[in-house]
Parts: sequence; structure tokens; C-alpha cells
Amino acid sequence: MAAEELVRMENINKFYGRIHALRDVSLRIDRHEVVGLLGDNGAGKSTLIKVLSGAVPLTSGDIFVKGKKVEIKRTTDAIANGIETIYQDSALVPQLSIARNLFLGREPIKGPRFLNRLDHQTMGAVARQLLKKVGITKDIPPETPITALSGGERQAVAIARAMQFDSDLIILDEPTNNLGVAETQGVLRFVREARDTGHSCIFIAHNIHHVFQVVDRIMVMRGGKLVADDIDPKKTTIEQVERVITGEHLLH
Amino acid sequence: MQQHSLLQRFIAKPEFGPLVLLVLELAVFWSLNPSFLSLQNIGNTLAFTVELGLIALAMTLLMTSGEFDLSVGSVFGFSAVLMWTLFNSGVVSLELAFLAAMAVSLFIGYVNGWFVTKLNIPSFLVTLGMLLVVRGTALYVTDGFPQRTWSAEGSWLASALVGSFSIGGLRLYMSVFWFALAAIGTHYLLTQTKAGNWIQASGGNPNAARARGVNVSRTKIALFMFSSAMAALAGIISSIRTSAANPNSGTGYELEVIAMVVIGGTVLTGGRGTIIGTVLGIFILRIMRNGIVMIGVPGLAYNIFIGAIILGMMALHSWLERRHNAGT
Repeated sequence: MAAEELVRMENINKFYGRIHALRDVSLRIDRHEVVGLLGDNGAGKSTLIKVLSGAVPLTSGDIFVKGKKVEIKRTTDAIANGIETIYQDSALVPQLSIARNLFLGREPIKGPRFLNRLDHQTMGAVARQLLKKVGITKDIPPETPITALSGGERQAVAIARAMQFDSDLIILDEPTNNLGVAETQGVLRFVREARDTGHSCIFIAHNIHHVFQVVDRIMVMRGGKLVADDIDPKKTTIEQVERVITGEHLLH
Repeated sequence: MQQHSLLQRFIAKPEFGPLVLLVLELAVFWSLNPSFLSLQNIGNTLAFTVELGLIALAMTLLMTSGEFDLSVGSVFGFSAVLMWTLFNSGVVSLELAFLAAMAVSLFIGYVNGWFVTKLNIPSFLVTLGMLLVVRGTALYVTDGFPQRTWSAEGSWLASALVGSFSIGGLRLYMSVFWFALAAIGTHYLLTQTKAGNWIQASGGNPNAARARGVNVSRTKIALFMFSSAMAALAGIISSIRTSAANPNSGTGYELEVIAMVVIGGTVLTGGRGTIIGTVLGIFILRIMRNGIVMIGVPGLAYNIFIGAIILGMMALHSWLERRHNAGT
């Protein structure tokens, strides 16, 4: 099966002042794949994700989406190009309801335009459907504020939103941090669900076990460089990957 | 989440506390002095209540977006002074002077919003500075003297803003009507519209809102302008009603207005606001001021009661909040 390219980054460099955080990183993400991004603290994972999601500008290099060169200068540029990033807890407005969060920034309007009236009915119906889709079986009304949800449910809402709004690539930054065992399984299930419905994911986690359970391919960063981009989790052990992350394998 | 009964949900609403307090207040004052609920007293109380109320409605939206405005009291005084100074100079008509005063207030609001959103300076500092600039300007241009206002008699604008009419024995001003309209409008805006969603999101989690394409800065600037404009409108209405445009009027109103808003259940840190609560808060404070005098407590003791109400309501809101977060 010839994979279809979704996102390509070429020779990305990023300087923070004199710190060279990304060194000539080139990578490619295909459609329908979940890629794990691993690396020790300070390896450049977060910087890479921030560049791709528009949180920080890149110093040099090119980003292509579906073969076309794009400029990603702020987060809205990334979203417009179908790249959605889900940071821990920061993606939602805690005081607002699930439905209002799902539609934030893209609220459907009912009736004459000048009345600017929210279409609560559509929002509620779509929200209910989405919650079911990401596997929340508990009966949670869409009017529930985010503050009343558990950590795993919040991640689910954020993922549901990314799935709903034509995001081709969903970047999950440490989505399983601080979650219990059952909630972690839930999040991993949403990730598989997202892939099965045609989305690609970049999955970043400290816990290699979580990454191994869900990804098709593993990339490893070290010292601002991409040192491996095609590790097959089915043919590799966790110990081997750990050696790549720390650079130990170079010694043998 | 278990289902709550209708009563339980009603009690858990942030407006429940203020509602109980208001009913209690009415009952106590009425039982101590029956003329408290006389038509004349109601009419008198309403006249000034709605003027402050107009500012409180706008402040509710601004505070929901996570900011507040300390310059409203000075704009209240300055706008009336500006309008009457222009009019008395004989160069412009009353209508034009009114429009000029409103335009200047919008500009003041814009500057507030610009400093807060573009320069990232806390609204406390920006609007405190603006308070001094605007109050200082009002005092400087008038040499501290009140402006003549009597010439407004018979103007259609004056009648439209504060013309009085009687229903039965109740004498009301047009401003009551404007206040009711503004209350309904702001409530609709906050709860039913896309703009309302943006206001709440801007206060609740500005970074998340920004990432979703919500223009947080523009939302806040618009609300600063709205708050300034409502303060100006209130000041002008007040000056026509009392036939006085004093450069010092409105001093301290900013704090009274913010107190009204927080008593009603709007959070100082943003994200959650309630117009219904603010309307209750407006009446709680104004009726307290009026009732204390009616039952013979010295007016100088007024602030003790206001302070106690604020502290008590904050304690209640914090307790409800903790219960809410615990999911019980």
C-alpha cells in the first residue's frame, strides 16, 4: 500500500537565542498513521511540536501539508491547515459546557445573522453524537461544564473536537500524564478511533509502554536531531528503543 | 453525575444567594418601616439605581471576559461635563454635544482596551491611570465648578433619556425603560450568542480561546468601549435628571459597581458571569442604602453594611464553588 503523504517538514531549524533547539529536522507523516515521538527531556520534542502547531515560529526550514508549502506562524494557521494540538488540560475552557467548548470559535448560528444567536440544538445533538463516538458510554449531558469532568473525559472532549473539525493531524502532547489506568486506556482507545476514522496522530508520551500500545511507527529525537524515524514497535523491544533515546546504542 | 432535583439545581445556581438576600432585605426594611414600599420611595430609589445599573451591566460582561474598569466613575462625571461644556459654549446643539461625549467615551474605552490587550498591562493599572487622567481633565476644563444644565428643558433628547411619566401613583423616568432594555440585551448577549461564548472563553482560558480562533483582544477592547459608553450614558442621564454636571460626580462609583457585580455571582477572575445576578446585586446595594436611611440608621453607617454584604456573599459564593467542584 503506497502511503499518502500528509505533512512533511524539511530541514527545520530553531534557535532560542543562541540555543540550537532543532537541528535540520526532516520528517514525514502519512495519512492514517499514528506516530510516536519519543525523546528525553530537552531532546527537542516539545519545540518540534510547538513549531508544527504554530506556538513558536521556526528559524528556517519548510513545512508542507498535502504537498503544498504552508506558513505556520500562529496556532490558527495550524488549525486552518488541519493540524490540531491537544495540550494537557490547556485546550478547553473549564467554565464552559462540553458543547460550547466543542464549537468554540466555530459556533453555528441560528436565525437572522444580526441576532448572532447560538444554535443550541445543533450543538447539543452533535456533542452527544461525538461523545458516543469517542467511547464515552456514561450519560454525560453536553451542557455539563468541563470542571465537572475527570482528566480522561477532558482529553476525550479535546480529541472529539479535533476529530469533528476536519483535523487531518492530531498532535497529542503527553495525553496520558496524570491519568489513571482506566482513563489511560480510554485515551488510547480514542487515538485508535481517530486513526480508524481517517485521522493521523503524533503521540508524545514519557511512558513508552503507552506509546507502544497504540503507534504504527516511532520517531526518536536526541539533542535537537531526529535520530530515528522508522522504528516498528512490532519488531522492536522497549529496551532497544530506550537505548536509542539515551544514545547508548552508539557505544555498542 | 447524578440527576439533581429541580429545587437542588435552583439552589446551586449562583443567583440563588443574592435572590434570598434581596427578599430578606425587602422583608426586613418593610416590616420596620412600611413606607419603605411606598410608591414614592420606590420611584425615588429606582431613579438613581438604574443609572448605576447601566454601568454594572456593562461591567458584568467586561468582568466575565477577565478584565475590569476602574475608570467608569470618572467617565460618568467627565462625559456630562463635556456635553454641557460643549452645549453651553453655544457652538453645537445638544444632540451633537451628546454624540461628541459618547464618541470620546468610546475612545477612552478603546485606549483602555488597547493598553490591556496590546501592551499586556493588567486592567487594574491601566484603568487606574485612566481614572486619574479623565477625572483630572474634567476638573481642569471646568476649574472644578459645576456646569449649567437647566437649558435642557424641552429637548427631545432629554425627554427620551430621562423624561418622567407616571403609572398610577408611581413616578418613573425613561431611564428605567433603558435599563430594562439593556438588562435583557446583555443577558441575551451573554447566554445566547456566539459573542457571549467568546466573552466567557476569553475570561475562562484566553490561550485556549485564542487557539480556537477567538479574537480575544478584539472581544476585550469592544467590552472596554461598551463599559465606557455605558458609564458616559449613565453620567449624562444623571446630569439631566438632577440638573447638575459636577466634575466630581461619580467618584467612587467604580467600586460600588464592581461590588454589585461580584455580589451577583460574577467571578472577579473571569470566565463566568451572570446578568440576572448583577441585577439582583444592583438592587441589593441600592435598597440597602435607601432602607438604612428609612429605618433611621445614620447614613454614615452605610458602608459597614455594604462591606459586610460583600464579605458575606463572597464567603457564600466560595462555599458554593467548592461544593460544585466536589461534584456534590
